[in-house]
Amino acid sequence: MKNSAPTRLHSLGQLRRVVKVGDAASGAVRTALKPIRALGFPYRKPLVPKGLVVPADPSKLGANFDTGWARSSAAKAARAVVTNGPIRAFVKTVASPQVVGLDRLADLQRLNETPPVIFAPNHHSHVDTPLIITVVPEPWRSTLVVAAAADYFFDTRVKGTLAALTLNAFPIDREVTSRKSSDELRRLIDDGWSLVIYPEGGRSPDGWGQEFKGGAAYLANRTGVAVVPVFIDGTGSIYGKGMKRLKRGTTKIVFGSPLLPIEGESTRRFNARIEAAVTALGDEALTDFWTSRQRAAQGSNPKLTGPEYNGWRRQWALAEHRKLGRAGVRRRQTRRWPDLG
Amino acid sequence: MSRLVFSRKPARFALARVAGAIMPGAGASVGPLAIESDELLPLPTPDWVRLRPRLAGICGSDLALIDGTASAYFDPLVSYPFTPGHEVVADVLNADGSAGRRVALVPVLSCITRGIDPLCTACAAGQINLCERVAFGHLQPGLQSGFCSDTGGGWSHEMIAHPSQLVDLPADLSDEAAVLIEPTACAAHAAARYTGDETVILGAGTLGLLTLAAITARNGNRRGPIVVTARYAEQKRLAKELGADVVCTSDELPRWVRSSTKSLMIGDQLTCGARHVIDCVGSTESMKQALQVVAPGGEVQLVGMPSNVSLELTSLWHREVAIRGCYAYSHADFHTAIDIIRHHDLARLLSATYALSDYTDAIAHAASAGRRGAVKIAFDMRGN
Amino acid sequence: MPRPGFVLEVDRSTPSILFWRGENFSLEKLPAGRSRVIYPPEPLEALSDIDGAIRNALLNPIDQDPLATQMFPGMKLTIAFDDVSLPLPKMRRPDVRQRVIEAVLDTAAQAGVDDVHIIAALGLHRRMHEYEMRHALGDRVYDAFHGRGMLYQHDAEDHDNLSVIGTTDHGEVLEINKRAADSDLVVYVNINSVAMDGGWKSITTGLASYRCLSFHHNPETLENTKSLMGHRHQSALHTSVWRLGQVLKDHGPKIFQIETTLNTDMFPSPFEFINKREWEWTAKDRATFLGTTKSLNRTPIKLARKIFHGIEGPHQMTSVQAGETEAVHKITLEHVHRQQLMEVQGQTDILTLGIPFVSPYNPDGVMNPVLVMCMGLGYLFNMYRNKPLVREGGVVIMTHPCYRDFNPVHHPSYIDFFEQVLSDTTNPAEMSRKWEKQYAEDEWYRHLYRTGNAYHGVHPFYAWYWGAHGLKHAGKVIIVGGDPPTVRRLGFTPASTMDDAFEIASDVVGRSPTITHLHVPALLIADVQ
Repeated sequence: MKNSAPTRLHSLGQLRRVVKVGDAASGAVRTALKPIRALGFPYRKPLVPKGLVVPADPSKLGANFDTGWARSSAAKAARAVVTNGPIRAFVKTVASPQVVGLDRLADLQRLNETPPVIFAPNHHSHVDTPLIITVVPEPWRSTLVVAAAADYFFDTRVKGTLAALTLNAFPIDREVTSRKSSDELRRLIDDGWSLVIYPEGGRSPDGWGQEFKGGAAYLANRTGVAVVPVFIDGTGSIYGKGMKRLKRGTTKIVFGSPLLPIEGESTRRFNARIEAAVTALGDEALTDFWTSRQRAAQGSNPKLTGPEYNGWRRQWALAEHRKLGRAGVRRRQTRRWPDLG
Repeated sequence: MSRLVFSRKPARFALARVAGAIMPGAGASVGPLAIESDELLPLPTPDWVRLRPRLAGICGSDLALIDGTASAYFDPLVSYPFTPGHEVVADVLNADGSAGRRVALVPVLSCITRGIDPLCTACAAGQINLCERVAFGHLQPGLQSGFCSDTGGGWSHEMIAHPSQLVDLPADLSDEAAVLIEPTACAAHAAARYTGDETVILGAGTLGLLTLAAITARNGNRRGPIVVTARYAEQKRLAKELGADVVCTSDELPRWVRSSTKSLMIGDQLTCGARHVIDCVGSTESMKQALQVVAPGGEVQLVGMPSNVSLELTSLWHREVAIRGCYAYSHADFHTAIDIIRHHDLARLLSATYALSDYTDAIAHAASAGRRGAVKIAFDMRGN
Repeated sequence: MPRPGFVLEVDRSTPSILFWRGENFSLEKLPAGRSRVIYPPEPLEALSDIDGAIRNALLNPIDQDPLATQMFPGMKLTIAFDDVSLPLPKMRRPDVRQRVIEAVLDTAAQAGVDDVHIIAALGLHRRMHEYEMRHALGDRVYDAFHGRGMLYQHDAEDHDNLSVIGTTDHGEVLEINKRAADSDLVVYVNINSVAMDGGWKSITTGLASYRCLSFHHNPETLENTKSLMGHRHQSALHTSVWRLGQVLKDHGPKIFQIETTLNTDMFPSPFEFINKREWEWTAKDRATFLGTTKSLNRTPIKLARKIFHGIEGPHQMTSVQAGETEAVHKITLEHVHRQQLMEVQGQTDILTLGIPFVSPYNPDGVMNPVLVMCMGLGYLFNMYRNKPLVREGGVVIMTHPCYRDFNPVHHPSYIDFFEQVLSDTTNPAEMSRKWEKQYAEDEWYRHLYRTGNAYHGVHPFYAWYWGAHGLKHAGKVIIVGGDPPTVRRLGFTPASTMDDAFEIASDVVGRSPTITHLHVPALLIADVQ
């Protein structure tokens, strides 16, 4: 994008002309408003009587933002155009996604009435959401709702509307899932919508993952739908938290086998199961299936939250880890020679 | 009494070239070949004799000349106007004009026929096919009778010959069998190089079939199979009858040679192959195929007369392959030819005869012989 | 509710019947009053929880301990699987082999097993291309194991990697892949598309050598195999294989056999009309059929082949059982019969067969004339139990264009077989005596089999022997629509139309013969009474 230099006035004459126009305009407005100034209530807002307090209207922002209109068929159609056109092109250029593991969803796709599912990916970047909504296969892609942080995406009307329209976002509280939003989400699932919930709650601040929160597990337990773990690799280098500009890169998205809630399993346990699954997928993405399964059996898949230490060593380990990622693909493509001895 | 004459008419020659390219044998009707009345030829020396041809065959080299596809190499080796026809069975005419003994003609015009003394090295060694003086002496230039303006040729009712050119025919050998003696002599000369190892013969026209016949008539030790490529059903049948071990089309040849020599392949080239490949076609495709299937250190014998052939010689260099030409014969080959003809009953290879006046049909038939199920076509002058 | 197979007696109101004809179809009218069409049973329902069924089979095998208890750290584990000669057409991803092998690998990972080799048990078939292996095993397993050299294809000509297990009392030698022979446990992953496969046949052919196979892959054995798909006791092939199986059981490695069966839902849209009975075709089916045949008539053959070989069938697993080979195979056969077996009364004078574009020996390739004979007289003729559908000395009529077209990469020895062997003789016993050894030992074919993607040099002979029983049984074989010189080279009679074929057949079966037609997709076993 070209940075356009601020318009420069080439001469004093031009400056004088602008000031003249401005003066004339403000003069005209003042003249027009004169009659209205003479009027009072109800044409103008009245003053509040002394000593009284006006009760505050419930805020229509944040978790209370109404997104129902974004799920109407008109909005759906508009969103389909936007998703398949500009968003897909953008994602392809910026992230060059490689998608694997879709065969794990084949059994669900084969059913006559494909049930809704909850996709639970790890979260490193704002690019994750446009990426997810373009790679999730049908029939879920057109019925996907993304759970987005209420305090970040829905704090202004404009942001909220944009998020709801283009990404089909739904506001949830990050820290405490309020009763209202969880009921709303359950209703969405019952209506056949699938969800994308980032169990980490927010983007990773330092490039390593964060602990998984129980929202997805809780919902799955209550509604009986399966949770599909997803691992997204590479978005942190493209537009990670704190980065000022997008940096083009490559990404890899690995879908895991759907995890069904087990009768009598607590939310905490299910959440741990989901986290273990995404961790194993992360191992599979960066090494291979067999290594991942072997380490999963030992419980030794490299944790998404990274090493225990802090400070420079944590960052150092992150660099090593990133080298293994999609960004370091060329390194990993060195031929492994079979053992002939 | 008529004869066919091939004159020097460049415009007609060019026309013949074009016509020949469109339809083989069409050069006969538009080209410089024409039928004229006989002319009495002067005898160069008193011991020359007059012959009355009985049967005269049409050869591939004649067809090449008529259709304008013969190489420019031959220009100094022929003299115009000449009467074609070098595969001749004739009666020697006595002084009174009556028919005397029956002979086959050895058409090569070597030193002795040209009155050259001492003989050139080749003639002295008996290799008249390699005579160095075929354009010198008291005769006009001409490789053979049938390409020389002084001697006449077989496609006529009268020609002349030197006594050394005559081979007496036994009474029990029919004319039909005898007209094949000259081409069979070529084949016998080629077959002299047969080693008994795996041999491939490319082409089952007259030359290919006769070469096959010459090889199988020898009772030598056969260590490897003889593979013949044939395009037409009649050719395939005859090749089988004459003793080929394998008869196949030229597409199938590389695979046959590969499996019988247990060869591998590198690209299109066989790693092993046949030690001896006899090319009786002489085209670019056949030469290419010959190099593809010959063994390293082997020999490709070029029996069919080639013209301008374009060839990739890297495999020849890399695999130390030899290409050797094979032309005509010596006197001894004529006698061997008679034995071969008897052994295989080759008279049946004469498929049709024509009168001289029907020369355009005859040439057209000869040019498409394979396709029409024929082998050798000849002119029959015995009616007159 | 899937309907069982049924036999239609053709009368005047019966519509023309659909015939395969290579890379196209034709509709043929069969004479009324004396023809019958055998429609295969409709596809069964697939299992609803496939992965669950697989896990269950591994946990509760038959006559063996659960797989997990048979694995231990430090063991040598070999997983062998059927190659892509089946299923036909190929399955949608994930393939059954992928599912089963991933489940087995999960168990192995749990047990801490490191030394795992995965071997494609292809016998003397061609090596698979990378995309075929990826399709059968999935990208995860391929990427994890191939680069490490732990996933590879059986090489029957690598004599350093073959070992002799033992000899049967009939003198047959069991010689199989060395790695498998030396393993602590061999897990075999099988897809039982047809009743011929599975059981002891899996390892004793898939991991065997030419020497071992020649004991039963020969004209005499195959002429006495009546039939390939029928009762095992009437098949000399299976009798020999079972003897070798005993040797394997007594002296070979421990085997955990996992067998699966598929339903016959082989054709996705727009080809569903193939599976349907002609009078049940909807208007859409009829339009699709017309559109398809007309455009195929104008399509160059290469493109038509690409289209057909690109079909991914929606067939799915109907059963999975694991454990001791013979016990497992017994149950597998029950499932195969449940899908494919149907009763047919009596034989007829003529059997008509439409030959498709694919056989187990040309997946993603060209069906050459030798394979037309193999598919017709080998496979389709043998889709019976008790007695063949056609009487002895009757006529077999097949429809196929029979182009003299070969895939030189997959079938180099087939080209030479057609040119050299068939021009000499079409008699299986004679060609075996005169030519087989030369082809089996040719160094060039061996090189192409080991390093390229070619069937073994001897394989065209096996394809021909597969039809030996049919050749012996039939009085005449006619190919409708085939290239005449090619058909004659095969030793058969060419005919341009079905009526001409009936006319030619009248020499053998008279003017009013009875006719049976085996309707596409012909994956059935006719229990002929």
